[in-house]
Formats: sequence, structure tokens, C-alpha cells
Amino acid sequence: MPSPTRNEKPENRNVHAQLSLSGEVTYSIIDNRRAVRRDNFAIQSNTPNPMSSPGKISFNLSKFPEGGLILVIIALGLLLAIFGGSVQLPKFQTTPDGKRERVFETNAAGQKVPAFETVNKFFNARTIVQIAKDTSFFAIMAVGVTPAIVTGGTDLSIGSMYALASVCGALVLSPYGPSGGGIATVLGVLVTVGVGTLLGFLNGAVITAFNVHPFIITLGTMAVYRGIAFVQTGGQSIGGFPAAFRQFVRWEILPDLSLVPLIVMILVTIIGGIFLSQTAVGRKIYAVGGSEIAARNSGIRVGRMKLLAYVISGLATGIAAVLSLGYYGAGSSGDGQGYELNAIAAAVVGGVSLVGGKGTALGAFLGAVILQMISNGMVILNIPQNYSQIVIGVVVIAAVVLDQLNTWAAKRRLLARTSSIKKEVVRSGDTPVSLKPKTT
Amino acid sequence: MAFLTAEHISKTFPGVRALDDVSVEFEKGSIHALMGENGAGKSTLGKIIAGVYLPDKGIIKIDGQEVKPTDPRIAQQLGIALVHQELAFCPNMTVAENLLLGGFPTNGGFMDWAKLKERARALLGEIGADIEVDVPLAELTTGQEQMVQIAGAVGVNARIIIFDEPTSSLSTNESEHLFELMARLKERGVSMLYVSHRMDEIFRICDTITVLRDGKHVATEPMAKTSRDRLIRQMVGREVLLTRPKHLDLEPGEEVLRVENLSSTGKFENVSFNVRRGEIVGMGGLVGAGRTEVATAIFGLDNRATGNVFIKGKKMRLGNVNTAMRRRIGFLPEDRKRSGLVLGMNISDNISLAHIDTFSRFGFVDQKREATEVEKLTKRLRVKAPSLESITAGLSGGNQQKVALAKWMVRACDLLIVDEPTRGVDVGAKAEIYQLLDEVACQGVAILMISSELPELLNLARRIVVLREGFVTGELSHEQFTQEAVLQLMA
Repeated sequence: MPSPTRNEKPENRNVHAQLSLSGEVTYSIIDNRRAVRRDNFAIQSNTPNPMSSPGKISFNLSKFPEGGLILVIIALGLLLAIFGGSVQLPKFQTTPDGKRERVFETNAAGQKVPAFETVNKFFNARTIVQIAKDTSFFAIMAVGVTPAIVTGGTDLSIGSMYALASVCGALVLSPYGPSGGGIATVLGVLVTVGVGTLLGFLNGAVITAFNVHPFIITLGTMAVYRGIAFVQTGGQSIGGFPAAFRQFVRWEILPDLSLVPLIVMILVTIIGGIFLSQTAVGRKIYAVGGSEIAARNSGIRVGRMKLLAYVISGLATGIAAVLSLGYYGAGSSGDGQGYELNAIAAAVVGGVSLVGGKGTALGAFLGAVILQMISNGMVILNIPQNYSQIVIGVVVIAAVVLDQLNTWAAKRRLLARTSSIKKEVVRSGDTPVSLKPKTT
Repeated sequence: MAFLTAEHISKTFPGVRALDDVSVEFEKGSIHALMGENGAGKSTLGKIIAGVYLPDKGIIKIDGQEVKPTDPRIAQQLGIALVHQELAFCPNMTVAENLLLGGFPTNGGFMDWAKLKERARALLGEIGADIEVDVPLAELTTGQEQMVQIAGAVGVNARIIIFDEPTSSLSTNESEHLFELMARLKERGVSMLYVSHRMDEIFRICDTITVLRDGKHVATEPMAKTSRDRLIRQMVGREVLLTRPKHLDLEPGEEVLRVENLSSTGKFENVSFNVRRGEIVGMGGLVGAGRTEVATAIFGLDNRATGNVFIKGKKMRLGNVNTAMRRRIGFLPEDRKRSGLVLGMNISDNISLAHIDTFSRFGFVDQKREATEVEKLTKRLRVKAPSLESITAGLSGGNQQKVALAKWMVRACDLLIVDEPTRGVDVGAKAEIYQLLDEVACQGVAILMISSELPELLNLARRIVVLREGFVTGELSHEQFTQEAVLQLMA
């Protein structure tokens, strides 16, 4: 096996030139061999070295697992757009002085009748914003619970935290009455979010202090938190919030198009995504979920990371509670029943592994979108609502099974690649050891 | 007449050839020892016969008939049983329940508790073990638990019992009891396969010995025809893969680690030694001698450890990993898959994990700097992988170990503790790891190396501290090194 050519030595440069004269093929083989030896990363001659450009974004599907989810969403959208048919909606127009009024037209008989426009049942702004709004509450919670699931735990109490945070926020907002202004709004938001965060902190503190499985602890606090909310309100719904607060959440960009929940949801997803993927703390959370012992051996404060994960879960729940208070104008102890399972299911559909160590905020968000699209899609397709639970259950199971298959396939690919590397290395004579017996 | 034969057995694990065309015959009513260094394949052979692993190639015959123990249950039906610490049954169930797990005596579908206990007592009585059948298995000592396993094996009429390092966690008394029992089983015509490191035991109780080395069969001889020296030569036999390490020719610098009277109840007692800059100090001893426990205590993973640990002359508080890391201690754990790496993470994330904060600005990871740094290290350590984004679970043992080592080279350590640095690593990667440790030592890092492979210790270390059952039994300097001297202190 000839030694690799090195440019710094003049005689080798000659060899190099000769080789390049002797033909393209020989040249590239030699070059390839150098690449292997220099980097010790066996790379096929025409594939670019993935390490040389670490910042470059690749659209390889295996590197962008959420790609599959986006494809599913597009497919679902197309399905609904094609099979949903069309619907007639009353036509509106905006007058020059900013008022909305119905459009009238004259029919064949000369009468003035209200005009209708025919739109696609699914693919129209109103339906899509509606779905986005419905998604936002539990998508925010799904993103919020993702860190906890990534550490290998889970948070069953988010539905109850949602209720208790709503009730606490409602109790603060309600006394100000509809005339309440900015201060009331700020106070209400802070209390709701603050209570959510505090409840999450309590979950995390108990879990790390007593080292009990999060499933048990949050199963307990699920009952406790909702119980407190019920005792606080006596089961009554509390409303009558400051108009400023409601306008803030219900602010409409276009008539009937309230975008605030949608925007908050997207912001939470982006911030959550950046937190998990770009920060040191996010990296540590993955490590804790991947192997707690290895994380501890790397000097990561495992308890602190877990605590933080539950605080985040509470925080996100608080944010969702603010949106719901503003949107529906009331809070009660019965709010958010079953949201924990919706949120966890969304995360799982989005590829967050319940074993820990795997999953992204974007995945959890897209998972929530898929579940909501299916749920609303049933209505659009005129399938009786009763079936939606069945379908959603099947989807959750299918998502996990698909993920298993994907992991299995990835492992196969990896094994195949590893063995090809081995061959390559051996072929290029790269066993670097010069072994000599010990001389004593 | 051979009772059980294993013919041309081969087995490959990812990255390691565990067994390579091994053929062995086992006689009826005899105790057959299997010896070899770590990674020689002796446990793998035992597990293949017991149906825990499937061989890639080769067949197993009982009384000349080919059998296929494809899982432990089938092996049991064939009369093959494995006694192994990790294969204990259900710790929360009682001894009696565990013993009859395969077929509870019932009465119209309900458990017949009286009969259950009676049968369990009979089984235990048969091997002369005096163990209460009503207590949960978890409350037994390791020795008693082993007795229960053996009773279970005898109970299913096992004709061949495989003992995998049975005495590694037994007290002397318990070991004696085990040997008596084995002698009795032998009289009854049971064949036994005895996997162990311990020479004394093997010479005492075994009739025949097979030596394996690097997955290959070296020799099968009657015990009477062999000797300690001969065995050691057969076990180590290969050309030792090392040149003289360079750090031995340099003068070690100031003291980096001084351990004084370090103790941890039930693990080790009054351990004292020191390691100087640029020095590799080996730590020898049998499995269970307390070596790993000493290392983890120094790294702050044992919060019940007492005694004094000084790093560069300053006393260090024990029981906190972060304190140890701040004092620039690095630790390569013995079990890299569980405690050294986050297997689901990629190479880059694993390498930067312990020092992720130094790569971060305002909490955000500077991924460019991380990638440059990691790439430098993977080149230096010659990690072979498709890319830095490759998940570490898919790498070979050698490459995983390099990644686990690279983690502690992101920032220079003052003290690097390596626990079994070459376990489960192929020969080529082994030599690379030796070279690397030597290089690191030459750069002035103090290294404490725990190893069960004698040649590794003898060649690489400047001094060897030997532990036995939690006590330091001696310290040897390079000039005093011989296999014999170390073995003498170990067992």
C-alpha cells in the first residue's frame, strides 16, 4: 500500500503530478484514500464531507425528522380540501368608514337578496384560523411538557394546572369588572402565568426531592390541583373580566380572525425549540433523558434539570390558561379536563419518546396540529363526532409504531454503513498500529 | 466419552469477535474450568451453551446428538443451567416462589402454598442449603442467592451447570460451601463448567481446563498436567502489543492526587496512595476488590466515603461530582454504555457534554466552536465514524471508548481516572488507547488506571497499587513488575 501523498514534500508533489497525468480515475482514488486517512472518516469519493460544513442545513429527511410530520399535515390538508367539498358563506364587505356590512345583490327576479360566496369547506381563512385557535391551547402545553418527557418523565397534572391557573387568574381579574384597564390585564396575566409556574415548580421539587417517578407525583397533583380549583370556586364559573384583557387576547387582525392564540403558539414553539436545541441547558436535558448516570458522570446536576423541566411545563400551561381566559371570558375548575392526555399524545405523535432523550418542540407542535386537524376534519367530512376519539387513538398508536419502524430502519442503515467503513479503512491499510513485542 | 461438545463455535458482537471457531468437549461428572483474560470469550462460550446467546456458527451436541439451545428455557429443558449473578430471578418474590417459578403447584387454579414451600424446602435440602423459603429473594446474601439458583438448577435435573464467576462476590466461607456442593454434584454425575479468574480455586476443584485467548481456543488439558506459569503463558501468550511507553522515561512531576485512609463501609477501607504529574499508576485486583469503588469515590460519586483526598495538595470535599470536575478530575467509567456515554446522542454532543458550558455564550451553545473543537479531538483520537452526527450507539466498542475519552480531553485534566479503558475493545483500538494514555501522561496529566488485564497494567503503569477485598495489599514499582508478583497480591 503506497503511503499517502503529501504536498509539502517536493518529491511527493511529483508523484502527485504524475498520477494526475495518468488519468482522472487514478487521481480520484488516491485523493479519496487521502481523505480517508487524513480525517479518519471514511467518506465515499463523491459525497461531500459532512463535517467540513457543520453549519450547513441539510434537507435529508433522516436529519429533519419533522419533515415527515409536515408531509402528513400537507396530506391531511389536501384530503380535507378535496373531500370536504364547499360551503356557502355570507359575503361581507368593509365600507370606506371601516364598518362591516353584508353584500346584497339583485337576483333574477329583481329582488335584493344577501349575497353568498362559495368557499372550500376546509381551505378558507376562517376554518384554518379556527383550527389554529383550537390547537393553540394544547399545542402550547404539548411544547411545554416536551422537556419533562425528554428527561424521561411525564407531567399528568397539566390539565389540572391549567384549571387552577385559570381560576386564580379569573379570581384576580373578575373584581375589576368589565371596566378594568391595563393594570388589571397585566396583573391577571402575571398571576395566571405565575400560578402555573409555581405549580410546575412544586411538581418538580417533589419529584427531585423524593426521587419518586414523575408519573406518580403528577398523578397525585393532578387530583390535588383540580381539587383546590374546585374548592376555591365552589364549582362556579368565574367571568366578567376587564374588556381590555379580553380585547388583548381576542384582538382581530381581520373580521372574525383572531390571531393572538396562533401567534403565541408559534412563539412558544420557536422559543421552546431554541431552548432545547441551542442552549447548553437544553442539551443537558437531553443528556439526562438519554442516560441519567452518564449525565451525572459528566457533572450535570440532574435534579436541577428535572426541576427546570417541570417548571417549564407549568409555565407553558400558565400561558395557555391566559389565552383560554381571554378567549372564552371565564375560568372554572372544570377547564382543561383531559388536556394532559391531549398534550402528551400530541408530543408522542410528534416523535417525543416517552423513554426520554428524544424529541423536539417543533415535533410536539406539529403533533398537536395533526391531532386537531383530524378532530376538526371529522366535522368537515361530516363523520359523526363520536368516531373522532377512535381515530385519534389509532393515530397515536400508529405514530409510535411508525417511529419504531423508523428507528429500526435507521439502525439497519447505520450497521450497513459501519461495516462499509470498516472495509474501507482496512482496504486503505489504515490500521495505524505498529505492533512490536515488549522487550524486557 | 464426551457428554457435551461444542463444535466450531463462532460469535461476533458489533466491533468484537468474541469467539472464533472454538471447539471444546466436556466430560460427564467432571468440573471443567474455562480460563482466559477479560474479553477472551469464556463467558460468551458459557452463555452460548446456556442459550443466552445464539452462536453465529457452530453446533452443540449432547451425547452425540445435536441440540439447539436457542433460549435459556430450552437449554433448561435440555438439562443445561447457568448460575450467574445477573440472572437472578424475581427479587421481590420469596425463595419458594422463585424456585418453582416454572410450575407453581396449584389446587384448582389456586396456589397451593403448603406444597410450594414443601417442594422448595426439598429442593434446597437436596443441595444441603439451609435457607428460609418464606423470605423475599432480595433479602438473601449473594451467596445464598447463588445457592437458590443452584437448587433450582438441580431441581430441573440439570445435567450440566455453568458457573460464571460464581465466587467473585462471595465471602471465603460461602465459597467453601459452594466448593463442597460442587464436589457433591460431581459425585452425582453432574458436569460443571467453571468460568473464573481465580487460579487457586481452579487448581483446587477442577479436573480439566480450557484456555481461551482473544476468542480462540488455546489449549484443553487435564488440570494435573498444567501449572500456574503455563496457564499464565497460555492466557497472555500473544505478543504483548506495546512498545515501552514514553512516560516511563520522563521524571514524574509534583503530586496531583494523594488519597489518605479513604474508606467506604462495605466497599473498601483505609486506602492510601498517590499519583504524580505525568505518571500512570495502575490499580490491580480481582473483580469485586473495590477498585471501581475507590475511583468513583475520588470522582465524588460516593457520598458515604470518608478519609482525605488531596488534589495538588489541597483537600477536596468528597461526594460531589461537580467539585471533582472543578478540581480538573476526569473519569472514564468502566461501563461506557451505561455510565460513560449517552448512547442515543451523537458523537459531538457526547464529547462536549461534560464541558458544554465552556462552549456556551449567554447559555447558547456556540455550535461552530463546538464543531471545530470536537473535530480536532476526533482526529487526534482517530475516531472512525461516518460523521460527527453519528449516534454513538452504532459505533464499535473501540470508537465508543475513544469518544468517552475525548470527553475528558476537551479541557486538560489534572487527573484522569480510567476504569477498564480497553474492555470490549478490539486489539487495534487497544493499542491506540495505550498510545493515547501514554501521550496524555507525557503532557503532564496524572493518570490512575484500573485494569483487570495484567499485561496492560504491567506495561503501561509506572507503579501498581493492588487491592484485595477492599484493602491495599501492596504497591509495586515498575522494576518489581512480574505477573507473579501482582497475582500474589491480588488473590
